[in-house]
Amino acid sequence: MDVINGLAQGFGVALMPANLMWCFIGCFLGTIVGILPGLGPAATIAMLLPLTYGMGPASGIIMLAGIYYGAKYGGSTTSILLNMPGESSSVVTCLDGYQMARRGRAGAALGIAAIASFIAGSFGIVALTLVAPPIAAFALSFSSPEYFALMFLGLALVVLLSGESLLKGLMSLLVGLWLTSIGTDLFTTQSRFTFGQSSLLGGVDFMIVAIGVFAIAEVLSSIKDREETQVLPVPRGLRNLLPNWAELKACRFAFFNGSITGFIIGVLPGAGSSIASFISYGIEKSVSKHPEKFGTGVPEGVAAPEGANNADTGGALVPLLTLGIPGGGTTAILLSALVLWGVKPGPLMMQDSPDVFWGLVASLYIGNVMLLVLNLPLVPLFAQILRIPVFVLHPLIFGIAIIGAYSVSGNLFDIGLLAAFGLLGFIMSQLKYPVSPLILGFVLGDAMERALRQSLIMSQGELSILFSRPISAVMLAIAVLILLSPLLPRFRQMKQQAISENG
Amino acid sequence: MRARMIMPTCLALTAAVAFASPAWAEFKPTRPLELVVHSGPGGGNDILGRALIAAINDAKLSPVRIQINNKVGGGGASAAAYLAEKKGDPNVIGVFTSVWVTNPLAQAEANVTMRDLTPISLLVLEPAVLVVRADSPFKTINDVIEAAKAKPGTLKQSGGSVLARDAVVRQVLMSKTGARWSFISFPSGGERISALLGGHVDMMVIEPAEAGELIRSGKLRALVQFTEERLDEFKDVPTLKEAGIDVPNVPQPRGILGPPDMAPDVLKYYEDLIDKASKSPGWQKFVRDNLLQSKVMNAKDTSAFLNEHEKEMRDILSGAGVKLVR
Repeated sequence: MDVINGLAQGFGVALMPANLMWCFIGCFLGTIVGILPGLGPAATIAMLLPLTYGMGPASGIIMLAGIYYGAKYGGSTTSILLNMPGESSSVVTCLDGYQMARRGRAGAALGIAAIASFIAGSFGIVALTLVAPPIAAFALSFSSPEYFALMFLGLALVVLLSGESLLKGLMSLLVGLWLTSIGTDLFTTQSRFTFGQSSLLGGVDFMIVAIGVFAIAEVLSSIKDREETQVLPVPRGLRNLLPNWAELKACRFAFFNGSITGFIIGVLPGAGSSIASFISYGIEKSVSKHPEKFGTGVPEGVAAPEGANNADTGGALVPLLTLGIPGGGTTAILLSALVLWGVKPGPLMMQDSPDVFWGLVASLYIGNVMLLVLNLPLVPLFAQILRIPVFVLHPLIFGIAIIGAYSVSGNLFDIGLLAAFGLLGFIMSQLKYPVSPLILGFVLGDAMERALRQSLIMSQGELSILFSRPISAVMLAIAVLILLSPLLPRFRQMKQQAISENG
Repeated sequence: MRARMIMPTCLALTAAVAFASPAWAEFKPTRPLELVVHSGPGGGNDILGRALIAAINDAKLSPVRIQINNKVGGGGASAAAYLAEKKGDPNVIGVFTSVWVTNPLAQAEANVTMRDLTPISLLVLEPAVLVVRADSPFKTINDVIEAAKAKPGTLKQSGGSVLARDAVVRQVLMSKTGARWSFISFPSGGERISALLGGHVDMMVIEPAEAGELIRSGKLRALVQFTEERLDEFKDVPTLKEAGIDVPNVPQPRGILGPPDMAPDVLKYYEDLIDKASKSPGWQKFVRDNLLQSKVMNAKDTSAFLNEHEKEMRDILSGAGVKLVR
């Protein structure tokens, strides 16, 4: 049993007092970084990298990885409390998390986010421990046509996200697809919709769109509605601040869904944790008995994406540790950190540096428990933020949003964009256009366009490449089913009639 | 700002005593320096910049702190525009790479060229190798060329933007040999390698450090290296010339540059700093670990090198059908 021996060795490394301390420091810093919008784990790890030169690879990677997954825990905090995503993977958490907070269930939403993160995060780590090599092989079988089908499936979920009017949902989606096409086209280096601005050549950053249409728009709306005297209700007493049994029960499937979806999408180098969180939210809604309540503050709408973005961590470490392939910016810098310490990440890392490999894996188990213990007691504390009077809170939100937007790229231009997206979100909410299709279109559109063009280059222009491969065919079929699902209620009625007649 | 006020004095002095000016007239930074990189944390230039700063700190070469400033966007255009705004500022320098040269050629919005900025020092050239999957039928680069000639357009190479070095190498090889194969762009290195490992494409032109472990573990095979001489780590892989294809190697340079109108004493200071840093043990270890080729040049030679590089790229890109705007 290689795995058991390896894990035993790993816990031997990870449980050394110094490494326990580094793990805690990493998780703690990660939580803070996650809470602060704009400041991401990649930038933090890059800043702290020089401090780890003298630490030795095992301690170093244990601390830096703690920042990586700790940030996923913290990201939901401002999503829930301020409608302002702390990380791109927590954008979708705004939809139901903030609505829960508005109904006085902020503590419950934060608690559910922490519990979902713990359950799905642990699942991701167990899966990383047990099935890393076969799942890495699966990830490699995924190519552009499969990515296209995955993104198409995600977009099909818009039908479910669009709220009351399908037409308004689709228009919002089109705006999102347009926004994501701004910038330099990778295939031809043509610039699209840049209006001669060199600041737009790199496209628009997702965090700026999300902070604008969620947080800024929300503040503008509440100013317009003159909510100045109305402070959000925060119940007193610890029991009322934590999720109750009914809320946890509602999340049963979400914990499972978030774990699986997050891990599988996390393994794919061409998708990220924001895509994972959106797709698990969509799946959650599509299987729900009350999909119409999504967006009004249902606990499973928090549990599914928060679970998915934490299971994603275990998934993203699979190609990094088994093949030396980074799936995103944060894993790329972890990779360069390993190289810096003289560890060679790749297929031979498990043999060459078992102490680093297994030490890291074991520390993930420990770190996940630490994060839960660290985060749950903070819930009542964070919930108090909502007691801040509006005349303080609103300028505070503006301030954090502006700092966050600036720290993403260091361009003043982006603050102008933030204001524009805030206005856009405000106008959309006044005209009752849902913003979630816009966000979804923005996240998936770019990846989907790329995957389609890559597929067509591969097949020399044959569209059949999209349907002739099994994984992509199955996903496209599910997407078509979802698109036809508005017809389902009628079908369900007929079925229920049939059942009641039989029974 | 003090540096700017003493600049005229300094100029006069330098001219009078030909670089033997007393210490008080030389530029010496008094506030933290900014090192601008065009990639986000974890990107190639960001990692190189941080390694350079670490090497400088270890060797105690700078009296002040140096901090990274990530000006992401537009494949270098945002960082170049930012540097151009800092005209004459002695406290800002940046890391350049090949895209700083090629981007302005192809994009009208990227309107800051290397000629507008002040090249300080070339640091490294990144070698490259052409790799295939270990179970690929291709054993040599000539197998690839023959197969591509037999069925034009069916072989596939994964890579980055069409301005990137891997695309340029393909272009050079195709126009020399008359073979044709397609090029599929992926935004991240991870996706490019995955496409090759998964068998969805046939080959890739890659930096040796990125492919090293996959070659060592027997998942990939290197067919040819785009270097003048064989790298130590790839002793049994022929260079392009040895494989019988006589084309210039397309370099991937990385180095340091400054904003426009850099005063001569400031330029001299940074030239010296980079020269000393490049000899420090920390930097040499970084170069070794990442299988880079150290190539340090002074400011004058770097400018000449970049001019030549631009000319070369202009020819190759226009030959590849990329629409050039300058």
